[in-house]
Amino acid sequence: MSVVFRMPRIAVFVAVAALVAACSANTAGSGDATGSGAPGKGAEAVGFIFVGPKDDYGYNQAAYEGSQAVASAYPDLEVLTAENVPEDDNAARIMNSMIAKGAKVIFATSYGHLDAALKVAAEHPDVAVVQQGNLITGTVPANAGTYFGTVYEPVYLAGIAAGKATKSDKLGYVYAFPINQTISNINAFQLGAASVNPKAKTYVVNTSSWCDPAKQAEAAANLIKQDVDVITQHQDCTATIIKATEAAGKYTVGYHADASSLAPKGWLTGSEWDWDKLYVDIVKTAIDGGFTGSKYNANYRVGFKTGENPFVQSAFGPSVAQPTKDAIATARTLLGTEQGSPFAGPLTDQDGKVRIPEGTVPDYAEIEKIDYFVSGVVGKLPK
Amino acid sequence: MSDLLTDVLSGGVRGGTAIMLAALGETLAERAGVVNLGTEGCLLVGALTGYAVAAETGSPWAGLVAGALAGAALALVHAGLVIWRRADQFATGLTLMFFGLGITSLFGVAYVGKAAPGFAPVEIPLLSDVPVLGPVLFAHDPVTYLSYLVAPLMWWWLRRSRSGLLVRTAGERADVLHLHGYRAGLIRGGAVVAGGALAGLGGAQLSTAYAHAWFEGMTAGRGFIAVALVIFAAWRPLRVVAGAYLFGALLAVAPVLQARGHAVNQFAMDALPFVITLLILAVIGRRTLRAAPQELRRVFESSSSN
Amino acid sequence: MTATATAPRDMLAGLGRWAAALLGALVLFALLLLVKGANPLTVLWGMAVSTFTSPPTIEQIVIKSVPLILAALAVVIPARAGLTNVGGEGQVVIGAVAAAGVGLWLDPSLPGPVVLVLLLVGGGLAGAAWAGVAAVMRLTAGVNEAVTTLLLNYIALDVLLYLIYQPWKDPEGSGQPATRPLEVAARLPLLGTTAVHVGVVLALVAALGTWLVLRRTAFGFRLGVVGGNPEAAGRAGLPVRRLLLAAMLTGGGLAGLAGAIHFAGVEFKLRPGLTTNIGYLAFLASWLVRHRPLPVIGAALLLAAVTIAGDSLQLDSGLPAATVHVLTGLLLLAVLGWTRRKGDAT
Repeated sequence: MSVVFRMPRIAVFVAVAALVAACSANTAGSGDATGSGAPGKGAEAVGFIFVGPKDDYGYNQAAYEGSQAVASAYPDLEVLTAENVPEDDNAARIMNSMIAKGAKVIFATSYGHLDAALKVAAEHPDVAVVQQGNLITGTVPANAGTYFGTVYEPVYLAGIAAGKATKSDKLGYVYAFPINQTISNINAFQLGAASVNPKAKTYVVNTSSWCDPAKQAEAAANLIKQDVDVITQHQDCTATIIKATEAAGKYTVGYHADASSLAPKGWLTGSEWDWDKLYVDIVKTAIDGGFTGSKYNANYRVGFKTGENPFVQSAFGPSVAQPTKDAIATARTLLGTEQGSPFAGPLTDQDGKVRIPEGTVPDYAEIEKIDYFVSGVVGKLPK
Repeated sequence: MSDLLTDVLSGGVRGGTAIMLAALGETLAERAGVVNLGTEGCLLVGALTGYAVAAETGSPWAGLVAGALAGAALALVHAGLVIWRRADQFATGLTLMFFGLGITSLFGVAYVGKAAPGFAPVEIPLLSDVPVLGPVLFAHDPVTYLSYLVAPLMWWWLRRSRSGLLVRTAGERADVLHLHGYRAGLIRGGAVVAGGALAGLGGAQLSTAYAHAWFEGMTAGRGFIAVALVIFAAWRPLRVVAGAYLFGALLAVAPVLQARGHAVNQFAMDALPFVITLLILAVIGRRTLRAAPQELRRVFESSSSN
Repeated sequence: MTATATAPRDMLAGLGRWAAALLGALVLFALLLLVKGANPLTVLWGMAVSTFTSPPTIEQIVIKSVPLILAALAVVIPARAGLTNVGGEGQVVIGAVAAAGVGLWLDPSLPGPVVLVLLLVGGGLAGAAWAGVAAVMRLTAGVNEAVTTLLLNYIALDVLLYLIYQPWKDPEGSGQPATRPLEVAARLPLLGTTAVHVGVVLALVAALGTWLVLRRTAFGFRLGVVGGNPEAAGRAGLPVRRLLLAAMLTGGGLAGLAGAIHFAGVEFKLRPGLTTNIGYLAFLASWLVRHRPLPVIGAALLLAAVTIAGDSLQLDSGLPAATVHVLTGLLLLAVLGWTRRKGDAT
């Protein structure tokens, strides 16, 4: 206790007063992105952020592979990638350091990166920021946009394969969290199965984690125990469930990536990402200076109806018979037409209430807002 | 109904085995007077090393041994720092958890999604047909069967063997050891390292026999559960087994119910094991503390003021 | 209480040990990088350059250090009384949850600054209550607080997830698990034209205040006595239980405040993974400087810088993001093992 420090309280108050006088509002994220130059024009670097590891054999790896397609399409372009980027303000920081390294086009590839992406877009009008999978509500800034495939379309087709393959009429779906995208997938899977097998039901189990292999193992074990004989999932890492399903002699419907090598016997089909063309086209649009006002400067959704869906159907496994393949091909063609949709009315929810009336075909934006399970899904959503 | 119970209990054994091995390892260390919060890290390095070695050698048994060695190696760092350098046990343990997380993701990327041979469930003839007990206890992988032996052996060894007595004495009255010409530090270090090996084994079980995959951070707090478990089991190996299976069973309740179409609040279910542990500790805490090894009580009652 | 008198020599030796420990950790890290096939010199140089040469990055380090400082003080104060608070993470989360609860409830009806003050208070109280659970269990059931605070971390996270996936989910948020954002008027204002919010002032004041309280008040002195020898303190007539409780509650309050500041200054919404290890890093920050309140500021800045430097690890060298944990771990191990002092100096 030798040093006596008499000043601090007064000093602190003075300092605080001075600082408060110099304060400004904390309005990050609400800025206006109209400024010099077209966003992304003449970019020499492009940045990609991923929420998980870029080698998860799932969602993030697919996005990473897309980034590498950009690298090979534009050899002079520097492609910056960052994995394990959390879905909070850290994401904004990392995007900013990419911009500091010269990136003028940024891909924020996880659903939860949207807020950070919009914040970064507001701070950098000259950078085009696109986000994968979420929706911008309200006005879309001139240098931002979201893009996605209509994931539920190939999932619906895979549901047909599952409905044909099941002998117990019980299908299993392991998911992480009840977000809308997942709900659409589960519904589409059930509707696809029911379209060829009215008795088919889909049992859902969640894991509260995008990748917790031990929980996945437990989920799969319990579904199998309940006589479920086709299992699919919406998880970021997929190997555990597929291996457990194969070991039990049941059928697998894949997600995110072709994992048929993990299930040589039970692999039916699946849905997987192929981002290459879409990523390259977004980068091209931005570099050429045409981002603002383009289809990517919006909530861009592409599906079988509107073009090339980046979410494609995986190859069939050995057990899938020709009639099943034919049924899928027919459905695929129908989905490409005006009246074709997994969610075409009449659509009833679990409680038997009609949600979409007969004769109505919801558009892509409406489908993304569905927040209930359709009839045939066993298991409840949290209210 | 009994079917539901069977599923919860067999899930408890499946999911509880890694926790049990880690908690038994922690029991050993704590009986010798050392807390290792780095158990989470030991589990992680065991999980990665086990999976990687199984993938490279084609032998899951080799993976198991390697996982145990890796857990032991990380625990050796803990032992070295807290015994030789007299560093704080809690801080060092938590740091090792971080270190384990980092080092496994640095070296683990090559093994994410990579195929590796693992252990498959082997039903034990006759025994597996016994109602309830059969599917709960005798329809698992060989590592789980092996794990049944660990707790009884440890119980017997701590009680009956000379070396077990030395470990207990290191945890109760280190000065007595000193009087008799033993080096308490070495004995403690040995217990911590052996404990780390058990945790490493648990990690390897998780990756090669349960999840059949490696993924960074895949232990998801199970090492911390193990540490809490040791206290609520009052440092007794057989009670640790019961606690670990209880935990496993709690983790299994949600999927068991959901697979039958019942609605559960997933977040409440996730919090349940932790809440129940807290409640049990609150109820029996005072009593178990009396059972704590003396040297450990010293660590628990005054830790940060070094 | 003795160290200052014999200062210069001891301090020099202490600094020397520090430098040696840090250097040792860096060398080990470099070896690991070599094993991974990366050139350690390029990697470390890249980390240093990209972290310390750009003003926005330096602002980011300061912003990131704010909750770290507060949550580290939440370790410092209980440590003075001999308690180990490993629950910073949960206390930060609960602080943010309470701040969001208060903020989003009141921001449509009350003026922004009033809401801001109330939400900061709410966050602090909630953090204190969360730590209080562990304190009460320690005092009534004798359960070690290191263990209970760890368990409480997981429960706090589940509370957060439950709220944002269910009752508090923003109905306008296209199904995203997050609350709606806090109104601009109720957010922490920024300092001048920088990106740094005024939370930094609160953190510095808190550090200074902690230093004063521990050093200059009877309360601080008593805490030290209890931490040194609780039995003797009891015999000397000190209210040991009340002191332990007070230390834990104050600590939890500071961690809760960290969460509230993180919410009202940076995040504005509750969402999954809101705190990304703030509590654990803060625990290590406090240990890095042996629980001394003013050096905690430096330790928090260092860990914030290392975390941010971790970005460049992947952007420049393509190493996995978690590699930075290896560096943090090595630094800490070196410091824990090799910078121990003989006496307990403030």
